[in-house]
Amino acid sequence: MINRRHFLTTVAVGTASAAALAACGAGSSSSGETGTAEKPVTINYTWWGNDDRAERTRKAIALFESKNPDIKVNGNFTDFAGYWQKRATEAAGGGLPDVMQWDLSYLRDYGQRNQLLDLGTVKINTDAFEKSLLPSGQIKGKTYGIPTSTNAFAVYYDPAKLASLGIAEPDGSWTYKEFNDFLTEVGTKSNSALFGSTDYTGVWWMFNIWLRQNNIEAFTEDGKLGFTKDDMKKWWNTTAGLRGTPAIVSEERVTQLAPKSPFGSNVTATEVTWDNFMAGYLGDSGAKELKLVPVPSDDPDNLGLFLKPSMLMVASAKTKYKDAAARFIDFMVNDPEVGQIFKTSRGVPASKTQRDGTTFEGTDKLVVDYEKSIEQYLKDAPEPPIVGFGTLEASFKRVSSDLNYGKLTIDGAADAWFKEAEDLIKQNA
Amino acid sequence: MDARAGYTFLLPWLLGFIALTVGPMISSLYLSFTNYNLFDPPKWIGLDNYTTLFQDERFLQSVGVTVGYVVFGTPLKLAAALAVAMLLNSKRRGQGFYRSAFYAPSLIGASVSIAIVWKAMFGDSGPVDQGLSFFGINLGGWVGNPSMTMPMFILLTVWQFGAPMVIFLAGLKQIPNDLYEAASMDGAGPVRKFFNITWPMLSPVIFFNLLMETIHAFQIFASAYIISNGEGGPAGSTLFYTLYLYLRGFSDFRMGYASAMAWLLVIVVGIITLIFFRTSKSWVHYSGDAK
Repeated sequence: MINRRHFLTTVAVGTASAAALAACGAGSSSSGETGTAEKPVTINYTWWGNDDRAERTRKAIALFESKNPDIKVNGNFTDFAGYWQKRATEAAGGGLPDVMQWDLSYLRDYGQRNQLLDLGTVKINTDAFEKSLLPSGQIKGKTYGIPTSTNAFAVYYDPAKLASLGIAEPDGSWTYKEFNDFLTEVGTKSNSALFGSTDYTGVWWMFNIWLRQNNIEAFTEDGKLGFTKDDMKKWWNTTAGLRGTPAIVSEERVTQLAPKSPFGSNVTATEVTWDNFMAGYLGDSGAKELKLVPVPSDDPDNLGLFLKPSMLMVASAKTKYKDAAARFIDFMVNDPEVGQIFKTSRGVPASKTQRDGTTFEGTDKLVVDYEKSIEQYLKDAPEPPIVGFGTLEASFKRVSSDLNYGKLTIDGAADAWFKEAEDLIKQNA
Repeated sequence: MDARAGYTFLLPWLLGFIALTVGPMISSLYLSFTNYNLFDPPKWIGLDNYTTLFQDERFLQSVGVTVGYVVFGTPLKLAAALAVAMLLNSKRRGQGFYRSAFYAPSLIGASVSIAIVWKAMFGDSGPVDQGLSFFGINLGGWVGNPSMTMPMFILLTVWQFGAPMVIFLAGLKQIPNDLYEAASMDGAGPVRKFFNITWPMLSPVIFFNLLMETIHAFQIFASAYIISNGEGGPAGSTLFYTLYLYLRGFSDFRMGYASAMAWLLVIVVGIITLIFFRTSKSWVHYSGDAK
């Protein structure tokens, strides 16, 4: 039988402790350790993306290794959300991979905190880059990231779907009202079998573009918010009449479909997002053809569009193999054969050498042509956003989703986001 | 001499315990009083993290979600475990097989793959949706519906009743059969026998399981992380305490804040444990007690 002592000694206290162990990185000489063909050095490279990108990256790595027998590249990838949590853990332990694919949203977080290598101190050729694009990888005069490619915002649509509903293809010169009417027409004519779009006001970068259309910068130079709560409410009100109608797919559906997008799942007729998602959408949806047109604007002369580095290449500040890392980055951004491998799946190659060495056909050509067609409207690329921007972008998406679930009013959503943003800016000041 | 030998044998475990558990816990206690972003040295801010917590709506939401899960999930799970244990306690052919079959989900239930399967089962037009539609209940997918995610998580935990079931079964086997025989002679029915014999005789085991499962439930993380893509959605309905703690620490770089949350959880779970022990005197019976 069971006696008391037996039991009372079995005291269990559950603990959940998040502990961060600090480790120290090793010092190194100016160019770092180098290898030879007989005894190659191994560098770690990590990126985010899907299987398609993994396959292309593997090809690029194999090509690099055959051209550089003294370096081996050890590749590793995850999806976008998990990617940043992993990097945070590694950075805390001092073990970031040698070379990493990077996003503009997180450049300040790591660059300003001395986690990334100043690429100005190593040999990477940037002669073939647009001079207006390079500053997006720079903070206070130091170069932390080299853009691999550019992307721009666009409205995707599937011409076949529109044709089957008897709706004319858009030409991309539309106001928000015209765009909204178009979405409603899709939803009504298809009897809700096909929704117009997702709620595009939930996309941070579309908000940013709208702000630019109204001549407002999202962030001030001293790292504060450049817009007001009223701007934000006005933005979310743009689609107030569409939420809960066939113009916009319900948030329930969006959540269920994740990580696939509603557009890629053939649930919506259009999607407002980056133009380099073309290859992914084609693969997901199985559509024969997808087309791109500019985003709506109430000012036909100011579309608020810009070319953003779709991704950057960075190196860890603590890498032991600076020279090898620099050569790999140089190869990934400049080599024409790498352009042939990736086409526009990373965006349009930023380096002219790589761009000119790549043949764009079919849908890849559509993406390149789209970026050419909006050239006259392009403004300067935004500087790297503020420290903690990745968090703000995520909470913008979350608050917008709560809004669509009806859990928050527009006023409540704006209050919630501003509270988080102000708290974060204060934290990092 | 004996003591020295004892400690020598204990040493490997003790070193691990100090280096891997006590050390990190102490440093997290320190960090909970600081503003620490993983990169810059921690800045001492006193109790700020703890006071901010209670003005943080997301934090309060995560407390609500977790408490709801513990309060509904744990008793249901234990009830299922006890019911099945009693069924398996009778002498029938093939009991060994049934025991293994019921125990299996608790071995694999916490794994990543099960969370992924669960997500697919409860999605739009998944087996659950289709099964319910067959009976005329059209709920749609549970995964995207903020009011259906909690029932889904509770089902997931109830389904993993194997571990407490095995302990219940061991406890049931300890109850002397003559008690039941005597009760039968006096004309007691199954219900009476359950409340007058099984429950009091089993009460130490029930207490143990209740305590362990409650503590365990507070720590739910992996399944919530996977089913909600690490975001706690939809509409914050799966923002469990540990998930929010993790997001604060590793997505928002607020390690001090996350540490404060961790310590608050330790304290609250400690208090609950204490309350359990205090109140146990009135309903838990140990052999040898004069009662």
